[in-house]
Amino acid sequence: MRRFVLPTAVVAGACLLAAGAFAHHGWGSYDAANPVTVTGPIQTLKFENPHAEITVKAPEKVWTVTLAPTSRMTARGASADIVAVGKTVSAYGYPSTVDRNEMRAERITVGGKTYELR
Amino acid sequence: MTDAAPAIFVALEASALGAAIRQSTWAYMTANVGHILSLMAFAGAIAVMDLRMMGVLSATSPGYILRMARRAAVIAFTGLVLTGLTLFIAEASHVVLNRIFQVKLGLIAVGLANIVAFEVWVTPKVQNLPPRTPLPKEARRIAITSIAIWFCVAACGRLIAYF
Repeated sequence: MRRFVLPTAVVAGACLLAAGAFAHHGWGSYDAANPVTVTGPIQTLKFENPHAEITVKAPEKVWTVTLAPTSRMTARGASADIVAVGKTVSAYGYPSTVDRNEMRAERITVGGKTYELR
Repeated sequence: MTDAAPAIFVALEASALGAAIRQSTWAYMTANVGHILSLMAFAGAIAVMDLRMMGVLSATSPGYILRMARRAAVIAFTGLVLTGLTLFIAEASHVVLNRIFQVKLGLIAVGLANIVAFEVWVTPKVQNLPPRTPLPKEARRIAITSIAIWFCVAACGRLIAYF
């Protein structure tokens, strides 16, 4: 039985640390129960991996909208010139529970066309 | 990008290399897939060594199994480090502050120390043993520890995205 003590301690230690870890920025930390729709002009665009990101000047505040990986964006038709700065976007998605000004987009509408991002 | 990270990681993420990885259509994706494939090869090679040391496949020559599997493990580990560095550089300032990533790095250090212990204390005793020979007790102990550590490392890798 003794030979199981060390590995068990290692596993238990890792699990404890994992449970105690602060919520960071992961995909688990979005509030799917309270979706929001953010509409306004695109102020900045980062067409980068692992996720493209835009900031949108909505009436109430500037939202950071997390989109999809660039390859998926392109595959779904939402390439960099579609989500370009200055275009008006409507993003439906879930607000972050960590950063009040960030949301993760389920889908976006630009120029009357809707792009599914999941 | 977060300025809360030590300056070197902020600079790493902001570097031309970091930008190139993020802006390339293929680099991040390729590194991500390559990391998983390297992990499969590494886990397989490690499992072969550890299972042999736990008494499975006892009809084989332990020295031969260890030599062949070690070669595969070293190549796979190199792949893990290269692809892992690519993923890390792209998001260095965030990832370095991620508690699970820090736990993962610590566990990798423990795993590597466990390998050193194995190579120093076990390999010399078992590499020339014929098949079907009982192995020393520490061979089994270190092998079980090894499997436990590397499973935790893999779990931490996946968990980075959720914390």
